[in-house]
Amino acid sequence: MSGAVWSYSENESVSNEVASAAADVAKGASAEPVVLEIGAVRAGVRAPGAKLLLKGPATSDVPPEVAAEAIAKASKQLQPAAILIGATRYGREIASRLAVKLTVGCLSEVSKLSADGNALAGERNAFAGKVVAKVSCALPAIATVKVGYYAAVESAGTAVTESDVGQVNPLVKVVSREKKAAGAVDLRSAKVIVSAGRGVKKKEDLPMLEELAREMHGALGCSRPLSSDLGWLPEEHHIGLTGVTVKPDLYLALGISGQLQHTAGMKDSKVVAAVNTDKDAPIFQASDYGIVGDLYQIVPAIRKALASRR
Amino acid sequence: MAGLDVGYLAVYLLSLASVAVFGYAILWHARRTSTSIGPGRLLGLGEDEARRLASGDPVFLMHLSIAVGIGLSIANAILDPVMPYVPLLKDAFLVLSVPLIVGLVAAFVWRIQVYFRSKGVEREFKSTASFTSASTFLQLILMLAVALTASELALFWFPSLVIASGLVGVVRNSLVAVYYSRPSVNLVGNFDRPLSAVRTPFNLADVMSGKTDASAISIGAGKISDFDTSQRLTFDSCVEIGACEAACPATAAGRPLSPRVLVRKVSLLAREGGGSADPFTTVGEDELWSCTSCGACMSSCPVSVKHLDVIYDLRRGLVAKGKLDKEKSAMLENLAQNQNPYGFKNATRGDWARGLGVDTLATNPKAEYLYWVGCLSSFDQRAQRIARALSKILKQAGVSFAILGAEEFCVGDPARRLGEEGRYQELAYQNIEKLNSYGVKKIIATCPHCFNALKNEYPQFGGRYEVVHHTQLISDLIKAGRIRVPAEKIQKISVTLHDACYASRYNNVFDEPREILGASVSDVREMGRRKEKTFCCGAGGSNYWYKVPQQRSIAGIRTEEAQKTGAKAIATECPFCLSMFDDTTKVMNTGMDVRDVAEIVAECL
Amino acid sequence: MRIAVCVKHAVDETELKIDSGGKPLLSGATSRMSTFDKNAVEEGLRLKAAHQGEVVIFTVGPSDSKKTMKEALAMGADKGVLVTADTTSIDTMRTASLLAAAIKKAGPFDVVLCSEGSSDTYSGQVPPMLGEMLGAAFTGYARKLEVNGQTARVERSLEDSLEVVEAPLPVVASVVSEINEPRYPTLIQIMQAGKKPLEELNGDQLQPAGAYRQASVVSMSAQQSARKHVMIEGSPDEAAAKLVEALIREGVLSK
Ligand SMILES: Cc1cc2nc3c(=O)[nH]c(=O)nc-3n(C[C@H](O)[C@H](O)[C@H](O)COP(=O)(O)OP(=O)(O)OC[C@H]3O[C@@H](n4cnc5c(N)ncnc54)[C@H](O)[C@@H]3O)c2cc1C
Ligand SMILES: Cc1cc2nc3c(=O)[nH]c(=O)nc-3n(C[C@H](O)[C@H](O)[C@H](O)COP(=O)(O)OP(=O)(O)OC[C@H]3O[C@@H](n4cnc5c(N)ncnc54)[C@H](O)[C@@H]3O)c2cc1C
Ligand code: SF4
Repeated sequence: MSGAVWSYSENESVSNEVASAAADVAKGASAEPVVLEIGAVRAGVRAPGAKLLLKGPATSDVPPEVAAEAIAKASKQLQPAAILIGATRYGREIASRLAVKLTVGCLSEVSKLSADGNALAGERNAFAGKVVAKVSCALPAIATVKVGYYAAVESAGTAVTESDVGQVNPLVKVVSREKKAAGAVDLRSAKVIVSAGRGVKKKEDLPMLEELAREMHGALGCSRPLSSDLGWLPEEHHIGLTGVTVKPDLYLALGISGQLQHTAGMKDSKVVAAVNTDKDAPIFQASDYGIVGDLYQIVPAIRKALASRR
Repeated sequence: MAGLDVGYLAVYLLSLASVAVFGYAILWHARRTSTSIGPGRLLGLGEDEARRLASGDPVFLMHLSIAVGIGLSIANAILDPVMPYVPLLKDAFLVLSVPLIVGLVAAFVWRIQVYFRSKGVEREFKSTASFTSASTFLQLILMLAVALTASELALFWFPSLVIASGLVGVVRNSLVAVYYSRPSVNLVGNFDRPLSAVRTPFNLADVMSGKTDASAISIGAGKISDFDTSQRLTFDSCVEIGACEAACPATAAGRPLSPRVLVRKVSLLAREGGGSADPFTTVGEDELWSCTSCGACMSSCPVSVKHLDVIYDLRRGLVAKGKLDKEKSAMLENLAQNQNPYGFKNATRGDWARGLGVDTLATNPKAEYLYWVGCLSSFDQRAQRIARALSKILKQAGVSFAILGAEEFCVGDPARRLGEEGRYQELAYQNIEKLNSYGVKKIIATCPHCFNALKNEYPQFGGRYEVVHHTQLISDLIKAGRIRVPAEKIQKISVTLHDACYASRYNNVFDEPREILGASVSDVREMGRRKEKTFCCGAGGSNYWYKVPQQRSIAGIRTEEAQKTGAKAIATECPFCLSMFDDTTKVMNTGMDVRDVAEIVAECL
Repeated sequence: MRIAVCVKHAVDETELKIDSGGKPLLSGATSRMSTFDKNAVEEGLRLKAAHQGEVVIFTVGPSDSKKTMKEALAMGADKGVLVTADTTSIDTMRTASLLAAAIKKAGPFDVVLCSEGSSDTYSGQVPPMLGEMLGAAFTGYARKLEVNGQTARVERSLEDSLEVVEAPLPVVASVVSEINEPRYPTLIQIMQAGKKPLEELNGDQLQPAGAYRQASVVSMSAQQSARKHVMIEGSPDEAAAKLVEALIREGVLSK
C-alpha cells in the first residue's frame, strides 16, 4: 500500500500521541507518517517524519467542521492510506465527517493500531470495558485513536510541506469559549475520578486530593458523609445510591470504606483502586488494586510518582 | 318534669330534631361513600375501641371520652322525660359523666396543645394564611364541641337547668352533624383496614390479558376528581386531632411534611377548587417524598384517616408525570432492567451463599421452607451477614430450607411505595410464577418489607404462602428447644431493640424478637417508643434511595433515643434499619454496635 | 417544530453474559435504550413543550428494538420509525446512512437529536456522520440547547472548556447527560404507548448498502470481569510507584 499515514489532533499533547500511532501504522504499511497542521504550525507538536500544513484557515484554532473540510480537500488531492485522529470530542467529529466526505470506513476509539495487509486494524473496548474487540477496516481508512494509550512521539522532524485548501465557511459559528471551572467537571463524564471518604480528616485536606485529581486529568468525587453530613463538598459530588452513578476508566477511592450504598454508584468503573488503612475494608472487595495505608502518606507519594513520569 | 312546660317541650323537640339531623348526616355520608355502618360493623368497632382502650393510649382515652360523652348526653336528652320513671337511670348517668368530664377536659387541654404545635408546624411550612385560618377555625369549632359536651355533662348535676342543658345539646349536635358525621362514617368504614392494605388501581394481569384496556387506566391523582369517594371521605374526615403530626417521623425531622397538613390541604382544595383542581398546586413534591410509609399517622389517628391512600396516589401522580429525580428514576430503571434496585447483575444474587452449603430450590425443590433473602441481604456486604447468620441458625436447628438464588427478583416494595404500581406488579407476578412453579408453601423472610409484601400483598395476585418473619421462626425454634443458647454463651451486653415498622406496626410482630433477645443477651433495654408505637428508621417508603430536605435525620433521632437507654448495642430485625443505624451510629460517633437479632443468636450458638 | 430523535436499542452491559470460551454472547443479550439517548428524547420533549410540534423516534435495529422505541414513545414522543437492520454487523457509517435516509423520508425536521455516544459501543460517530449526510449544521456534546427562530444556540461541553456556538436550522446535535434529567416512563405508560404509530422500514430496501468497505469486528473477548484484588505492598513511595505503573499499564491514566 502506498500513500502516507496522516495524523491530527487539535490538542497538542494528543497530537503527539496520535503521531506515535501513525508511526506504528506507517511501519506496517511501508508508508510515511505525516503530522497534519491546519492554519499554522504549532511549536509543541512533534512529528516522527514530516508535517503537512494545510493552509487556508486563518489560525491553528480551527473548529472541527473546518478541520474536517480542510483535511478532506487535501486528502482528495494527496490520497493518504489512513488518517488517524485523536479521539477527543472535536476529534470524533472531525473523523466522522471525514469518513462521510471521503466515503471510507472509520474505526473508533482504537489502540494497538497496525496496518494489517490491506486493512487498518486495532483494538477497542466495548460494553463498558467488559469486552475487548479487534476491529479492522479496508484501507484507505480513518480511525479515532484512544487518548492516553500511546506515548508521545519522541522524534521531531522539521520538514514542513504545505497544501492550500482555501477558505472554509462553517455553518456552526463559535460565539465564545471558556475554561471549565474546576468544580464544574461532570463526574458522569469524567474519565478519572479521585474520590474522598471519611478517611480524610479535615476539609482543609481536600485541596491535596483536588490537586491529585487535576494531575490525573480527573475530577474529585466523594462518599456521602463528606457532602451530606459534613458539607465539605457540594451534593453533586457524592457518588452512590443517593448521589451520582459514575463509570470512569479509573476510580481511585481514598479513605472510603466501600458500603454498598457507595459502591452501587461506581461498580461499573473500569479499574478501581483503593487506599485504606483497614485491610478488611469492603472497598478492597470492589477493587482491582489496593494499598493498605494512610492516605496522607500515599497521596503525596502518588503525586511524586506521577511527577517523575512527566 | 311533669306538667306541660312549653319551653321544655320546644327544647326537647329541638334536641330530638338535632339528633335526627346528626343521624341523617351519618346515613347520608355512609350512603354517598357506600360505607357499611350496620350493626356488625358497629360491634366490630366497639371491640376495636375496647382493645385500643386497653392499650391505654391517652389520645384514645380522649377520643373515647368525646364519643361516649356525646352519646351519653344525647341519650340523656332523649331519655329525660322518662328519667323519673326509671329508677337509678339518672344516677347511672351522673356516675358515668364524671370520668367523661375528666376525659373531655383532658381533650380540651390536648387540643390547646395541638393548637400551638400545629401553628408552629404551619409557621415552619410557611402555610398560606387561608390554610392556617381554616385550620384554626376547625380546631376552634371542635374545641367548642368538646367544651359544650363537657358542660352538658356537668349540667346533668343541675336538674333545674334542664332547658339550658338541652340548648347546649342542640348547638353541639348541630356542630357535630356538620363536622363529625364524616369522621364517624370513615371510622366505621376503615377501623379494621390493615396498614398493609394498599389500594390497587389496576391489576396487571388483566391489562396483559386485555381484560382491562391499558389506555383506559389512569393512575395516580393528577386532579381532585381522580380521588374516589372513599379517598375523599378519608381526607375530608380529618378533624385536626393532631395525633398523626405528633407521631410522624418526617415532621419530627423537620421535613416539609405533616400528615395533618397534607390531608387538610387536599380537603380544602377539593372544597374550594372542585374536581378539576390540581393537588400539586398545594402539595409539594418533597412533601410527598418525605413520607417513609411508616404508618404512624394512620395507626395513631382516632378516626381512621388513611393518609397513605392519599400520599400513594399523589406519588403515583408524580411518577406518571415523570417527576422523578435521577436517584428515584435510576432505582426504578434498575428494577426494570436488573430486577434489583441497585443495578447489580441479578445472576450474582446468590453469591453470598457460596461455600455455605445452602441449597437453591432448583437443586432441592423439596425443601420445607424457602428463605426469601431480599435484595439488601443479597448484595450488601454488611447485610449479607444477616443471611449467613440465619442460615447457620436454620442448619443448627435442622430446618430444611433453600433459597431461590439468581431466580429471586426484588419483591417490588420499593417500586410500589415510590408510586410505580405497574413495575411492582410486574415483579410480583414474575416472583409468584416462580414460587408457584416450585410449589412453595412456606417462606421465611429476614426483610420486613419482603415479609409484608409476600404475606399481605401477594395473595391478591395469586401468591398464597405461609410467610414468617425470621424472628418468629427463631423464637419458635428456641421454644421448641431446637436451638439452645447455653447459659455461658449468653452475651453480656446491654441491647435495645428497634422495632421495624413493617414487622411491628404493620404485622404485629414484636414479642418474638424480644423473646429471642431475652434468651441470648443479658440486658435488654427498652426505648419509650416501641412495638406498634415504634419510630421509623427513615428508610421505608423507598426513602432509602433518595434524599429529602430535612433539619435532622430520622435515623439520628432514633439513634439518640437508643443511646438514652444506655444500651451498648442496637438490635434490628430489618436489613434496612440495620443499614441506617450502621451509618448513623458511626457518623454520630456513638460507639454503638448494630446487629440483627439473627446475628446475635447465631453468635451464641 | 419537528424534532427527530435517534434512539439505539443497545446491549445492556450489566447483564451481558460471557460464554465458556470468553466470548460475549451478543445474540440473545438483553437490550435496552442506550443510556444517554434518554437525555436526547427528554431534550426533544423539552423542545416540543417550548415550541409545539412533534417528536419522532428513529431507530436502526432488529424488530426487538420496538421495546426501546415504546419506552421513548411512553416518555412522550409522538411516533416512531424503525429501520430494520442487523446492528451487530453494520458499522457506524451504514447506521448513519440508514438513519439519514429514514429522516429524509419522514422529513423535513428542524432539529435532529442524538446522544454523544451509545452505552454499548460508544463510538461517538453516528451523530456527526448524520449531520454531514443530511447537509445540516452539526454540534456535538450539547449541554444546553435553545432555538430562537431559525437559529440554534448550543453550549457544548468539551474536555476542559465550554463552547457556545450558533448554527442555523436544521441542526443535528448530540447531547451529554448533563443537559437534563430524563423522565422515567411507567410500565403502564409503556403499555399504553403500544397504541402510538410505529412505522417499520426494511433497511436494505430503504437504502442499499454503498460501495465502500465497512469497518468490521474481527473478534471479541471478554475482559476479566471480576475485580483483580491485587494488594500492593511496600513503603508508601514504593506502593504508590507500583500503583501508578499498574494504572498506566491498564491504560486508564494518561501520562
Ligand atoms: C439510605 C442510605 C443511602 C446512602 N447513600 C449513599 C450514597 O449514595 N453514597 C455514599 O457514599 N454513601 C451513602 N450512604 C452512606 C454509606 O452507608 C456509608 O456510610 C458511607 O458511604 C461511608 O462513607 P465513608 O466510606 O467515607 O466513611 P466510613 O465508612 O467511615 O469509612 C472511612 C474509611 O476510611 C478509612 N480510613 C480512616 N483513616 C484513613 C486514612 N488516614 N487513610 C486511609 N484510609 C483511612 C477507614 O478505615 C474507613 O474504611 C448511604 C447510607 C444510607 C443509610
Ligand atoms: C465491539 C464492537 C466494535 C465496533 N467498532 C466499530 C468501529 O470501530 N467502527 C464502526 O464504524 N463501527 C463499529 N462497530 C459497529 C457500531 O457499533 C454500530 O454500527 C452501531 O450501530 C453504531 O455505533 P455506536 O452505537 O457506537 O454509535 P455512536 O456513534 O456511539 O452513537 C451515538 C448516537 O447515535 C445514535 N445512534 C447510534 N446507533 C443508532 C441506531 N442503531 N439507531 C438509532 N440511533 C442510533 C444514538 O443517538 C446514539 O446515542 C462496532 C461494533 C461492536 C459490537
Ligand atoms: S406514614 Fe409515617 S412518615 Fe408518612 S405521613 Fe404517616 S407518619 Fe408521616
